[in-house]
Amino acid sequence: MVKFLRMLAISAREGTATRKYPFESSLVTPEFRGRVDIDPAKCVGCGACVRICPPSALTLNYESDEVVLKYFIGRCIFCGMCAYVCPQDAITITKEFELATPELNDLYDEVVHTAVKCNVCGKPFTTVKLVKEVEKRIDGGDMSPLFNTCPECRRKLTARRVGSGVTGVSVE
Amino acid sequence: MFSDLERLRPMDSIARGPRSLAILNKLADVCGDSILDVTRDGITIRITLKAGCLRKALETIYSEHDLYFRTLTASDERREEGVYKLYYVLGIDSEGTNLVIEVPVPEAVEIYTASDLFRASDWYELEAHDLFGIRFNGRTLRRLVLPEDWPEDLHPLRKDVSVEELRELYQPQMISRVVTELGVEEVVRIPIGPYHPALHEPEYFELYVRGEKVVDARYIGFMVHRGIEKLAESMKYDQVPFLAERICGICGFVHSTSYVQAVEDALNIEVPERAEFIRSIVLEVERLHSHLLWLGVALHLLGYDTGFMHAWRIREKIMVLAELLTGSRKTYGIALVGGVKKDIAQDTVSKVKETLDRLKREYREFVDVATSVPQVRARLTGTGILPRGEARAYSLVGPTVRGSGLARDVRKDYTYAAYHYVSFNVPVYTEGDNLARTLVRVDEVFESISILEQLIDMLPSGPIMVESWETQPMKLGIGSVEAPRGEVIHVVVTGHYSPYRWRVRAPTYQNLQAVPIMLKGVDLADAPLTIASIDPCFSCTDRATIINLRSGSVKTVPIEIISRRGSGRG
Repeated sequence: MVKFLRMLAISAREGTATRKYPFESSLVTPEFRGRVDIDPAKCVGCGACVRICPPSALTLNYESDEVVLKYFIGRCIFCGMCAYVCPQDAITITKEFELATPELNDLYDEVVHTAVKCNVCGKPFTTVKLVKEVEKRIDGGDMSPLFNTCPECRRKLTARRVGSGVTGVSVE
Repeated sequence: MFSDLERLRPMDSIARGPRSLAILNKLADVCGDSILDVTRDGITIRITLKAGCLRKALETIYSEHDLYFRTLTASDERREEGVYKLYYVLGIDSEGTNLVIEVPVPEAVEIYTASDLFRASDWYELEAHDLFGIRFNGRTLRRLVLPEDWPEDLHPLRKDVSVEELRELYQPQMISRVVTELGVEEVVRIPIGPYHPALHEPEYFELYVRGEKVVDARYIGFMVHRGIEKLAESMKYDQVPFLAERICGICGFVHSTSYVQAVEDALNIEVPERAEFIRSIVLEVERLHSHLLWLGVALHLLGYDTGFMHAWRIREKIMVLAELLTGSRKTYGIALVGGVKKDIAQDTVSKVKETLDRLKREYREFVDVATSVPQVRARLTGTGILPRGEARAYSLVGPTVRGSGLARDVRKDYTYAAYHYVSFNVPVYTEGDNLARTLVRVDEVFESISILEQLIDMLPSGPIMVESWETQPMKLGIGSVEAPRGEVIHVVVTGHYSPYRWRVRAPTYQNLQAVPIMLKGVDLADAPLTIASIDPCFSCTDRATIINLRSGSVKTVPIEIISRRGSGRG
């Protein structure tokens, strides 16, 4: 009936279970997934991370001369999918988790790329680095004249070319 | 259509065993030409049935002793096939067979209810009515998922309703609830809830009390229906696991695993063996932490806070283990369609073994003491009784059904991941009281430790992810996992880039419907523990308002206080 007193012996043996964090180190294991870090030197702005990011913490923003990859830590769920899919290995998962801040801007990280503007319509649609990377991977080829044309205009050009090829009449 | 003789022959080749053959033959006898198609794929038998014969079919089979009503999924397939669809997912426990009855429902056709047969189907029908506007005859249709002030003809999961439209058409308003006279002068109505912000989902119970005894109870839920099924229709296949994992803050991995298993089932994706093992390992780690969490909370509700603290002290080691295995203490984020994202390193294996050894020793020592505390035993014994017959009629799941004498466990009955490689027992107690449900969980922790030891020892080498897979639209897939609380079942109808329809059923959906039965006749002081005994969500910020109908006075007290009023009697 006094079996429950044995808990006292267990307590004495185990001592204090809690740690004096933040005065002691945190308990993060080597496998811990914290915020991600994007290496601006490796990133080419392809947007693979943006397309997979489940909470849309990563976004690509097209401005007149720049394409900006934005990372908003406030939305990040620390799943690491961006690092998992990045073809350039530009994204690493850090062990940082102490992210609270009174300054909202501290929660943003940005990689700024120089934009390529479409040589037909003039809209910025990709980054200079991505065009170079693609060129490197396919070794020039037949596509190179179209590298600086945005997908929409490229579609129209192709349609026109095919149209004139079939009918023999150049379509304007 | 075929003649009777011709019909029987395919049934023979489609059935997975004598049980499914008997059921299929009965259905063929009753429905004849109303059966449009019967096919089998793996463990799933799919019968397409005209809506007109559904009631007769369900009447014929509901009394089969090992048939279990698992989920009912409605789907809007008007764009593809011009009809709504109802998928009744049943299970033949003894054979491990999924039985899917698919019913095309043309617009304006009404379906006769099955809620008087399969009592578990009550909520599913209300939900199909709320979200798709499918009408069921022979029962009262009230709001379940949607709030009471939701526009009458707006059914959010229909494909022709966009999220933008929903935002425009519905602005939530404060719903004022009016206290209704019950007619019985001495009965007091005690609302518990609805706020449980810390752990699970808000729930709201109304207890009707005469003196100290609970005479009746009512449950109102879906306070935080988040519309994630609609959201997933706009997310890519590999983004949805992360959404699924956030359905529950305690057992999230069971949801991401169920989802990926459903997609893999629909698209016939073979998952590498090592990935299956890793999934099972992480699922068992999750069960360990969840059961220890529950045990702690239960002891806390009984006023035995020493036990609570020690349960959570031991649990902490499992949380660290989870982080070591997956990269995160909770919401592990490693399940993807076709495998897992993170491998287990060789030096982690030895750390896992070390932790398990220590865990086993410390846990045995702890439960031995905690379950022998006389007050704890007295409060658990004979309270919140759920008879076996009721547990079967409501198709309950998990430790709740196993505490009432039924050995239903998805890991054994409809095996998945790597569970067929390990041997383990399914603890069953027959008393049906709070003690039985507690002991089921206590024993399951030992079983989980043993499963983990076996899995870690047998962990095969090889890839953890399929090289590639392709989508095909409009395929049906079922994924089910034995969560700490019972079976989680996900039904997926595939689309081109995203799930076309994704139906999630958590175990609490099934088990909550039986809580009013457990509550009848218990002392008010035992009500909080009885509600907690199915392991729904509970938090320390729980508050209950006591309204005395005669004097009209209202006071608010923390739920622990109600619970402790009886603790002096132990």
